[in-house]
Amino acid sequence: MKTHGENENLYEVTAYTEDSLGLLYSISGIFARRSLDIEKLLCYPSAIEGVFKIKIYAWASPELIRQAVLQIEKKVDVIKAYYELDTQRSKKEVEEVKEILRKREEKENK
Amino acid sequence: MTGGEILLESIIAQGADTIFGYPGGQIMPVYDKLYDYQDRLRHILVRHEQGAVHAAQGYARIKGAPGVVMLTSGPGATNAVTGIADALIDSTPLVVIAGQVGNAALGTDAFQETDYIGLTAPISKWNHQIRSAADVAQSVARAFYIASTGRPGPVVLDMTKDAQNGIAEYIPATCSFIRSYDPCPVPEESVLDRAAAMIDAAEKPLVVFGHGVMLSGAEKELSEFLSKGDIPAGSTLLGLSCLDSDDPHYIGMVGMHGNLAPNIMTQQCDLLIAVGMRFDDRVTGTLESYARQAKKIHIDIDAAELDKLVKVDLPVLGDAKYVLTELTKKIREASRPEWMMQPIMEASVEKHKVIDPELYPEGGPLKQGEVVAAVSKACEGKAVIVTDVGQHQMTAARYSRFHRNRSMITSGGLGTMGFGLPAAIGAKIADPEREVCLFVGDGGFQMTIQELGTIMQEGTGVKIVLIDNNWLGNVRQWQELFFDRRYSFTRMQNPDYAAIAAAYGIAYRRVEERSELDSAVQEMFETEGAFILDVHVAEAANVFPMIPPGKSVNQIMLNETDWI
Ligand SMILES: Cc1ncc(C[n+]2csc(CCOP(=O)(O)OP(=O)(O)O)c2C)c(N)n1
Repeated sequence: MKTHGENENLYEVTAYTEDSLGLLYSISGIFARRSLDIEKLLCYPSAIEGVFKIKIYAWASPELIRQAVLQIEKKVDVIKAYYELDTQRSKKEVEEVKEILRKREEKENK
Repeated sequence: MTGGEILLESIIAQGADTIFGYPGGQIMPVYDKLYDYQDRLRHILVRHEQGAVHAAQGYARIKGAPGVVMLTSGPGATNAVTGIADALIDSTPLVVIAGQVGNAALGTDAFQETDYIGLTAPISKWNHQIRSAADVAQSVARAFYIASTGRPGPVVLDMTKDAQNGIAEYIPATCSFIRSYDPCPVPEESVLDRAAAMIDAAEKPLVVFGHGVMLSGAEKELSEFLSKGDIPAGSTLLGLSCLDSDDPHYIGMVGMHGNLAPNIMTQQCDLLIAVGMRFDDRVTGTLESYARQAKKIHIDIDAAELDKLVKVDLPVLGDAKYVLTELTKKIREASRPEWMMQPIMEASVEKHKVIDPELYPEGGPLKQGEVVAAVSKACEGKAVIVTDVGQHQMTAARYSRFHRNRSMITSGGLGTMGFGLPAAIGAKIADPEREVCLFVGDGGFQMTIQELGTIMQEGTGVKIVLIDNNWLGNVRQWQELFFDRRYSFTRMQNPDYAAIAAAYGIAYRRVEERSELDSAVQEMFETEGAFILDVHVAEAANVFPMIPPGKSVNQIMLNETDWI
């Protein structure tokens, strides 16, 4: 296991996703390519029906985690991804993901 | 209908009429149905699956619509991997359909089973395994939608035998919305206002544009924007031909072997406006010193590219065509005569030090630049130029003139040797009316030379200019300049290309003398159908200017001994 640099913190990354076969590969691959250690990875249904949650705990610098999360979000089957140092935000996240889905559907129906 | 028939109906429903492919065990049910669709779908039988993908890439770049590839599982599918990776990094829309073993055999190491979802997850924009006939129509519609929208890319459908043989009702499907995917982000008005204000305030603005301009069809909008703001612009390798070579604001190509003006002016400008490009390291040189003095605006449709390598003052997330149209409305009409003089000065240094010795040498063997210039002149800058990877690629990019858009097809991000020949075949099939001219090195030619068989069978009239130097020239150049002339395994013996051309029934001419060059080029273009022009050029020649690796974009070698 590699040692963590001074600038590295343990981040909690949360991706809200569709149920998709290749997605876990792609997401873990994004961390592997930048040699970011994944400490823990969880997948489970979110509070929104039909939407899944992938949680990844990984060590990274603030800049690398920001870029990794953008690359996660770029995946077609990812609705939104977040990262943070603590775990206080999840209620707010659910509201925000609902709002994103509502807006996109509204844009489509226009 | 069977899933195989639904697949073909669904491809046709997407407006596609050409498939590049190669059959095999796990895709046979689809091929069997394809036999009955020959009046509606043209299938090009390539000679290797890598060739199928590159041909589809060439096709897609000309058409601006996804190229379609069909393969068998296992080795067929793995052979395609290089092309898929190339298409992802160069944003080329593809729909790749691979056969897969039956549902019950998945995961059992069955004959010709590979985990294609796992293999292609990191190199495709999206992939999906189809396990039932009922899922086919919707999956194909999604695949085309994802491949062609937003930042385009390759999409892989892994289709099990059950999905191909299963029976379902064909319900035509369309896809124009996926809730987890927003392909056309629109920037806030306030962001555009800020960008316009930055442009208006700049004294020495510089645009660097890339493939994104072509992908969004923003060629005209770019030219109008530059004209109103009187802003000079440099192109990346993949942006070439978006602006006419004679556009008064076009100042050349950026990057490692680019022109002096845009590279040097990158370090002089007070505002750098990057449009549809991603700051590849071959463009930026060392990032530490890249355009440090300038404020920066980065316009791109891919959020993950913004602030990735170069931190910018204003990221603008949006489609190039939309953003440029809006910015042109907002900026004031400007005139910057002094700043516009700068490229003229740099160009004259480059002409004297680099271009003249390359194009008008005093005797000696033919130079690569002379060959490119002769071809470019003969086709009046209107042909589609396709290249492989190496010295000839850089030379073709430097010395081709472009007077039509969508005229440059090359492997940029992956730098895939072997790309050129099949990509040229695909381009010619996409637009048979246009002259398609391939520049290829003797190394890269031999990587996919088997596709001469495709040319023979399909009668594809590609003009092949073989830049024959008996070396892996690009690597040889690096060995000469940076590895103490230790030429480790770059000398290459060539086969008898005349005999190869004859074996495939392709017209051929060998050129060694300068005096023959123009007439040989003329003969190539006057000859009906494919042609191999085997030009023997100086063996130990280098491509200049060159920004050596690790240097700034204004630290430029003009030749083996002179630096800027
Ligand atoms: C598939 C692949 N293998 C290796 C390389 C590394 N490489 C880049 S350029 C080059 C030499 C190309 O030689 P040639 O095709 O003869 O073209 P030249 O440079 O002489 O014009 C090599 C080996 C590559 N880009 N792609």
